[in-house]
Amino acid sequence: MKLIWKLLRHHISVAQLAGFFLANLCGMVIVLLGIQFYNDVLPIFTQSDSFLKKDYIVVSKKVSTLGSFLGRSNQFSNVDIEEVKEQPFTESVGPFTSSHFQVSAGLGIEGIQMSTAMFFESVPDEFVDIETDKWRFTPGDGTIPIIIPRNYLNLYNFGFAQSRSLPQISEGLMGTISLDIRIAGKGKRDNYKGRIVGFSNRLNTILVPDAFMKWANTQYAEGKQKGPSRLIIEVNNPTDERIARFFEDKGYETENDKLDNGKAAWFLRIIVGIVLSVGLVISILSLYILMLSIFLLLQKNTYKLENLLLIGYSTRKVAFPYQAMTVLLNGLVLVLSTAIVLLVRHVYSNLMDEMGLPIDTGAPWLAIGAGIVLFLIVSAINTTLIYRKMKSLF
Amino acid sequence: MNTITLQQTLPQAFAGRDSIVSDVWHRHIELQRGQSILIEASSGSGKSSLCSYIYGYRDDYQGIIGFDGKNIRSLGMNEWTEIRKKSISMLFQELRLFAELTAWENVQIKNSLTGFKSKNEIKEWFERLDIADKMQSPVGRMSFGQQQRVALIRALCQPFDFIFLDEPTSHLDDTNADIMASLLQEEATRQEAGVIVTSIGKHLNMDYQQIWKL
Repeated sequence: MKLIWKLLRHHISVAQLAGFFLANLCGMVIVLLGIQFYNDVLPIFTQSDSFLKKDYIVVSKKVSTLGSFLGRSNQFSNVDIEEVKEQPFTESVGPFTSSHFQVSAGLGIEGIQMSTAMFFESVPDEFVDIETDKWRFTPGDGTIPIIIPRNYLNLYNFGFAQSRSLPQISEGLMGTISLDIRIAGKGKRDNYKGRIVGFSNRLNTILVPDAFMKWANTQYAEGKQKGPSRLIIEVNNPTDERIARFFEDKGYETENDKLDNGKAAWFLRIIVGIVLSVGLVISILSLYILMLSIFLLLQKNTYKLENLLLIGYSTRKVAFPYQAMTVLLNGLVLVLSTAIVLLVRHVYSNLMDEMGLPIDTGAPWLAIGAGIVLFLIVSAINTTLIYRKMKSLF
Repeated sequence: MNTITLQQTLPQAFAGRDSIVSDVWHRHIELQRGQSILIEASSGSGKSSLCSYIYGYRDDYQGIIGFDGKNIRSLGMNEWTEIRKKSISMLFQELRLFAELTAWENVQIKNSLTGFKSKNEIKEWFERLDIADKMQSPVGRMSFGQQQRVALIRALCQPFDFIFLDEPTSHLDDTNADIMASLLQEEATRQEAGVIVTSIGKHLNMDYQQIWKL
């Protein structure tokens, strides 16, 4: 093999191979970086409350001035719910059940008693992804688990507490404080303890277990219960454009920024797609350079190759040095591009940290995996083309 | 491989000629393993063409060439590789050595493929052919006569049933031609192989069973 290499390395153009190497490196880095960046940044757009199912949307009917005058209902009927259920993007639908009784909550901090009238809502338990023994209520329990919007805590910490020189409360501390809940209705008045088990970024309501809500409504509610005015919908892909179109057609409003995030994620996808395409095009062109360079080399060495075949070397053996050379080059490109991606990732993860958007900096397996797949594909194409060319020469 | 048959074989370039007077072209002949045959030819009568047809790197001929009855036109690339490695050896008129490799490397590139001869045997041949001092010289800087001897050694570094030598002595003095002949004879006898030598004038001095005019 050493002798064969000594023979066949003649006419190898270092400049051409360096050109291929750089171009392929460029393409590979762009592709891998695109994939890794997408993978790192996408969670920022699609991040969810840890205790709620990932891809959900809250919808309500528009409250219009005219509607208010005419007393038009903005509740969802069973027909409406069935219709949503049948949409292709829908995984499941759950109604918000609201409290039809009076609720007030009180909290005592450092001797100051605060109390406010409020309301409860619940969604079916399947939408709440929290340990079941924390999110449970059986009639007779004196304690109600509650999820409140994180905004409420911020409102207290940065507004109320500062203006009154009260201590700020961390989320952890808040979880240990119990609220005094007073519920009244149907001529009854009872006291309960409320325990905060979670904070929600995206759900603007005070959430209690469905079991409690059903029970409390039968106990305290007066008159006929109304249908839900909000629905929670789990969707299979929040970036699906059919979702926005459907809601627009029906005149529903989406309540949180899920769809905006969906749009941002969609744009991210497009941009990364464009970047990936550019990277791939560069890679393909570099492959083309390499093939041209090697075909030229084969042409220049035709006489030697022919002689080798005539003294009994097989096409496979004669093609091997060139194939090995390209695979080696591809391997080098793979190693180097992975290193560059790691370096660049280090830089942008620091930048994003500074912007307060920390990303998960585990090992970039996706980029490495994609790199290996690309390496295998490119090498397979190279070796096959070289072998075919060699065969066609004689 | 025991027989090579040529049935009505003729180079396509000769097809337009009115009369062909030849012991080989347009006849039915058989080359048998173990026989030594001299093919005498004048320049341009197609002896190198004959070698290239039988060795499978040209096929611009009419008629049929067969190895043990099998038409060689049906052989694939892999079969040819095996034949060139194990059944037929060829000393090309143009030698086809690699000019940038040394004499020793030129032989090794073949012997490492077949693993047929030991280094000592090869060294001994270099000595007998009086080119031992040239073993490490690039072939490109050797005279054609010296190159012919290197090419012979290379051709002998493989098992063969037939060996073809296309004008092997064109640039050799009589002494070296005789050494070459005895080396060839020894190896051919040992392998019970057929020897086919072409010549346009000076013959390699061997016991030929047949002498054909091309």
